[in-house]
Amino acid sequence: MTWQPELDELRRREQLAQSMGGPEKVARHHAQGRLTVRERIEELLDPGSFHEVGALTGAAEYSDGRLTTFRPANFICGTGRIDGRKVVIGGDDFTVRGGAADASVIGKQAHAEQIANNLRIPIVRLVDGTGGGGSVKMLEQHGYTYVPANPGWDVVVDNLSVVPVAAACLGSVAGLGAARLAAAHFSVMVEGTAQLFVAGPPVVKFGMGEDLTKEELGGVEVHRNSGAVDLITRTEQGAFTAIRRFLSYLPQNVFELPPTQPAGDSPVRREESLLSAIPRNRRQPYRIRPILASIFDAGSVFELAQYGRATVTALARLDGHPVGVVAADPYIGGGGLTVEGADAMTRLVDLCQTFHLPIVTLTDQPGLVIGRSAERRGTIRYGVRAIAAVYQATVPSAEIIIRRVFGVGGAGMTNRHHFVQRYAWPSADWGSLPIEGGLEVAYRSELEASDHPAALIEEIRARLDAVRSPFRTAERFGVEEIIDPRETRPLLCEWVRDAYALLPSQLGRPAHGTRP
Amino acid sequence: MATNVLSEITGLVLRVEKQVGDAVKAGDVLALLESMKMELPLEAPVAGKVVEVRCQEGQSVNEGDVLVVLA
Repeated sequence: MTWQPELDELRRREQLAQSMGGPEKVARHHAQGRLTVRERIEELLDPGSFHEVGALTGAAEYSDGRLTTFRPANFICGTGRIDGRKVVIGGDDFTVRGGAADASVIGKQAHAEQIANNLRIPIVRLVDGTGGGGSVKMLEQHGYTYVPANPGWDVVVDNLSVVPVAAACLGSVAGLGAARLAAAHFSVMVEGTAQLFVAGPPVVKFGMGEDLTKEELGGVEVHRNSGAVDLITRTEQGAFTAIRRFLSYLPQNVFELPPTQPAGDSPVRREESLLSAIPRNRRQPYRIRPILASIFDAGSVFELAQYGRATVTALARLDGHPVGVVAADPYIGGGGLTVEGADAMTRLVDLCQTFHLPIVTLTDQPGLVIGRSAERRGTIRYGVRAIAAVYQATVPSAEIIIRRVFGVGGAGMTNRHHFVQRYAWPSADWGSLPIEGGLEVAYRSELEASDHPAALIEEIRARLDAVRSPFRTAERFGVEEIIDPRETRPLLCEWVRDAYALLPSQLGRPAHGTRP
Repeated sequence: MATNVLSEITGLVLRVEKQVGDAVKAGDVLALLESMKMELPLEAPVAGKVVEVRCQEGQSVNEGDVLVVLA
């Protein structure tokens, strides 16, 4: 006598779970250009690596003690591998009751978070639907109400300080689903098929009198710059590629070093273009991305936080070693630090501090953005918050001053009271206040008293220009080294090895819990 | 289909490079703006013909203002 009959029953039930919401619902899902949750898991994970947990969960109906119908729970989870590294994966099944909680077993979502937290492996959430939110109809079913608690939230929050958390918005996501998307280090949204909102159009129309479509309320045009998501991709496959890429720079958890790999790019590559990358005309902008490509390992620059706009934040590699990168895009408002840029910078610094990635800052910073619109948005506080993140970070840091360093913003790009491996290009141009604009203010009384103010301005400007050369700063050891820009990559590839030698003694949980 | 070309920044219009009737390619500079002491180009997002120029040299503009309309 064996247990074969039970094994047969087990396999039968596992088969039933595979059909999700049934062929009709699956077909409708596909017709909308969306993959099913099981297809998404297959796409994201290494082939055949998915090991499901809780496949038997669902609503069962019996007749004469025999199972007659089975509706699987609408949350699928388990473990698998991404590029050979183990992860937890959980996804909402929109084909079963639109991914709502009243058809799922909440315990599965919390358990998925527990696996990640206890095995100390990354977790990926494929969010589609309200991912756990209920419906008012449930009140009648239950016969009582309850004070709400976000399920498993103690572990959801703790995971941000322990393991990489990545999430994808793959459908119309609201409520608890939206919260689970946002409680991540990295989130991505798919153009056209995904929307993100606190509550959807019917609730918004009733509560706020706003009559909007799903796209108008929470589509990619709303979120391109909202700060709610890091990246927008054109396809679901693009979202999975972005998540795989994000994870590849990070360790499995905060107790391990970031994964290094063969560089595939010479650490002593000296790009000729760097010698002329910064225009001699101070008012002319330049493209920052070719400069990044000339410095970091070929193909390794992975930009995060598209919403940061003038502030470019990225993960990249130097001689195969993952690092964080902060830079500016002078084409956007001169590269000045805005509220969004400061937020992107704060998150990048916190991410690197949490997972022990050394940070490289390419400084060209005219300062915090000025003007009334900037003031209305509280730019000073968000800017200072970013600077606080920089000062609270203890990961090894390097700075290449490529052009301007002015003001509180310029001063705050790196911790100037702490050792930073610092190099300046000959194009570097710094001071507490820029001469342009600063001159007219500082010498106002002289200019007003003069009979020839235009000539006097030029004379004063010539006197100030004579002392603004970075060489004069270097004479006083105000900057340690001025370098040939073409040496930047070799110097940083040398530094990154020094930085990585320091990391083992820094491993462990961040001093303050990480927030999304 | 008209395309509104918005200013991405708050700043000053230094120079308007195109006039009504000009044909432009995607990426062509429509105007030069100044912000944070930099000269920043307003580029055409798509190819088309300039049908409206809603800014002039010396004008202060805000983020989101429509400066040029293409069709």
